Amino acid sequence: MQAFLDKCAKAVLEGDADGAGKLAREALDKKYSPLEVIEKGFVKGIREIGRLWEEGTLFLPELVMGAEAMKKAMAVLQSALTKSGSRPKSLGHVVIGTIEGDIHDIGKTLVATMLSANGFEITDLGADVPAGKFVDEAEAKGAGCIAISALLTTTMSGQKRVVDELKKRSLKGKVRVMVGGAPCSDEWAREIGADGYAGDAVAAVALAQSLMGAR
Amino acid sequence: MTKDFLATIKRRVVIFDGGMGSMLIAAGLTQREIPEAWLLSKGEKIAEVHAAYLQAGAEVVTTATFGASRIKLQASEAGKKLDPVRVNEKGVEIARKAVEHSAKRDAFVAGDIGPTGLFFPPVGTLKAADARAAFKEQAQALERAGVDIFIIETMYDIREAVEALRAVREVSSRPVAATLTFDRKPRGFFTMMGDTTETAVEALLKDGASVIGANCTLQSGEMIELAEEFRLVTGAPLLFQPNAGRPVMERGIAVYKQRPLEFAQDVVKIVAAGANAVGGCCGTTPEFIREIHNALIHGK
Repeated sequence: MQAFLDKCAKAVLEGDADGAGKLAREALDKKYSPLEVIEKGFVKGIREIGRLWEEGTLFLPELVMGAEAMKKAMAVLQSALTKSGSRPKSLGHVVIGTIEGDIHDIGKTLVATMLSANGFEITDLGADVPAGKFVDEAEAKGAGCIAISALLTTTMSGQKRVVDELKKRSLKGKVRVMVGGAPCSDEWAREIGADGYAGDAVAAVALAQSLMGAR
Repeated sequence: MTKDFLATIKRRVVIFDGGMGSMLIAAGLTQREIPEAWLLSKGEKIAEVHAAYLQAGAEVVTTATFGASRIKLQASEAGKKLDPVRVNEKGVEIARKAVEHSAKRDAFVAGDIGPTGLFFPPVGTLKAADARAAFKEQAQALERAGVDIFIIETMYDIREAVEALRAVREVSSRPVAATLTFDRKPRGFFTMMGDTTETAVEALLKDGASVIGANCTLQSGEMIELAEEFRLVTGAPLLFQPNAGRPVMERGIAVYKQRPLEFAQDVVKIVAAGANAVGGCCGTTPEFIREIHNALIHGK
């Protein structure tokens, strides 16, 4: 079993999406516990990628490929879990998007992929999203966190409008807010009353875990 | 004049100009606008920036065509309606006139080519052929309009830099400077894609770059070490254009806090590390170039 779990971790680490998908199906054929395969196998791979990224050993292409492999395995295992009525342990629901007036999509999408690969449920609203829409969606989905990307110094004020909207609806503190994007910083997050800032997709996972009490 | 550039850069240090975008923002460019649109609608504002850099001591003026490839223009509302060929021609015309109206008539006009903004697989879906075609269209317009040299800059993926280089080489035999943007990681300097200085040097020289180096992302102090690393692996002419520090936010506005004199002192060390050409990137102003000029020429 351990050898099989190691293979799962390795498929993600090597960004082998086909291999990861195959292993996920093999796990179901062999009647392994999908939860165990996810948590002790594939998740280990994605964590290792995060560590190597932070260290500067792996870079954007490897990060993206690892996340894709993770998603492929999760798609297979999750549908099996849904059928059996059990649910994978979700770390929580995150509503994510790029703020109104801003069309930069790449960084936000990568953060969404990494969050999802690490076990968060994601609602990705895309780019150019009005402040109110973030809060509407978070309420509708019962999300514990809103993640807002802004790449421009003029659009980043929209991140503050999301925080203000949460205050207005008395949701501040119940729904956590994380911000990211080139012009943002810890200081900016503090200034607008957000709960945290993450500089890249790996840091975003760690931040979401700490904000949502998953670690 | 063109034939002089390579001879000049081999003989002595050449001073490039500094940031264009941050200067235009100070002149009123909003985030809904792009510098390339100003080439057509407010050319005099761009000309003023060129003139200020020339007066400060820049020997190379860079056209405001960083984002003027068809792919990049198509990505923004303000750029969609612009004709890439016309934008690039206008960029050269304005830079050329600025040189002619200055006291530095022998300054070089560098045709600027920046990234498409898209990513190659696995990160994105950009195809090499599409990147090449867009760069070729841009390079051809710059060449026809009469640039002295080309500068391909802020590239975050060596593959895209190579496509731009090949595109320029298809339409021109003029000198090409190609610079990538590196970040500092615990293990050294890497591009976003993980390219090292060694792979960058090899790939860029193989495809015909005359001058190679780095710009953006790093501040002047960090760029000293990067220059040393480049010099260790190549004897080719090197160009470095650091940012004016890391931006800090002040009331929601990005501010570059480094002082021009401190920047220039680092640039002197970049030259000592082996640079043949220096200039500035984001946040730098004519004052930075003036300090570089003073430091290099008068040694103060």
